[in-house]
Amino acid sequence: MGIRNVGTSDAALVRRVQTGDTGAYADLVARYRDRLGRYALHMLGNREDAEEVLQDAFVRAYRSLARCDDPERFGAWLYGILVNRCRTAGPRAARRARRFVHDPAALETAPLAGPDGRTEWDDTVRWALARLPSESREAFLLKHVEELEYEDMARLTGAGVSALKMRVKRAREQLQTMLKEAERV
Amino acid sequence: MFEPVDDVIERIARHLRRPVRIDPALDGRVMREITALPTPGGATALGKAWGWLTRPHQLTLTPLGGLTVAAALAVVVLLSRMDSSAPGPPAPPQAESRAFQFVLVAPRATHISLVGDFNDWDAARTPMRRAGSEALWTAVVPLAPGRYHYAFLVDGSRWLADPSAPVARDEDYGEPSSVLTVGGGGS
Repeated sequence: MGIRNVGTSDAALVRRVQTGDTGAYADLVARYRDRLGRYALHMLGNREDAEEVLQDAFVRAYRSLARCDDPERFGAWLYGILVNRCRTAGPRAARRARRFVHDPAALETAPLAGPDGRTEWDDTVRWALARLPSESREAFLLKHVEELEYEDMARLTGAGVSALKMRVKRAREQLQTMLKEAERV
Repeated sequence: MFEPVDDVIERIARHLRRPVRIDPALDGRVMREITALPTPGGATALGKAWGWLTRPHQLTLTPLGGLTVAAALAVVVLLSRMDSSAPGPPAPPQAESRAFQFVLVAPRATHISLVGDFNDWDAARTPMRRAGSEALWTAVVPLAPGRYHYAFLVDGSRWLADPSAPVARDEDYGEPSSVLTVGGGGS
């Protein structure tokens, strides 16, 4: 799954939480915060939405922890909750982005590297990723960034392996096309 | 000339695989939210105590000084009935004692002690430990039914009251402190 445990096992922490040691959940949150945050950030395109969805996923996972049948696979189970939350939040985040980005002239004159150190390549990748259909973006990120196997992706998303392979293929083609466009500008 | 598609995709993927750092304060927000929730799996014996914890309480927050104080957030979480074999508690549990977990978010602290009526305000008896996140500190204390004043002593000199608990009115030590009331009768 591309998610590895370090130190105390996930299963041990989950069992401690289930028996009332709420503080043990802080260890799980700290363990998965950045790894899951990366997926949410790339999927939704902005940090505010990503953190909101991530927090929601952690709280939902806590509420449902009694239904985590295999504590050893807590990471994968949590990942599935996050993927679903991103799907729900995606359209809302996209609408908000469209409301904010409505001035092409301003975008054209914007600096290529922002004050936070972002480069032109950062912006190009973010721009291309945001233009992918959400299903393709999801499949591309899970396959090429989170480096999951198709079988694991199928379990997370509920889609079939063939459909996922097709989405990844289309995403690759679209990204290639968009980068060509960007380099022509 | 453009790169072959595999090279382009690999370059994008490598870029996106770079580690992302999410604000560790998210840990505190999650922990604050789940504190109001029942224990997963249903520890029914804790029902009344959870009720106490989740009922609205009037809070009066003491002005806190310094940047650490601004970042601090504390919650008290009822854990479970005291197990006399559990490691760490500073005092031998009585028959009706229950374990309470105190959680403090203080990202810049290097050492924190929990002090209160239950350990004679002795900073050496209940040091808090980091719980995974760099920002979170926890300590577990067995408490019999009663009313306790307590506070957090940060880096040996800074006293913090618990923002999620009622502030003590009778501050014998002239420092901010909080009040925790533990109900009896199996609650």
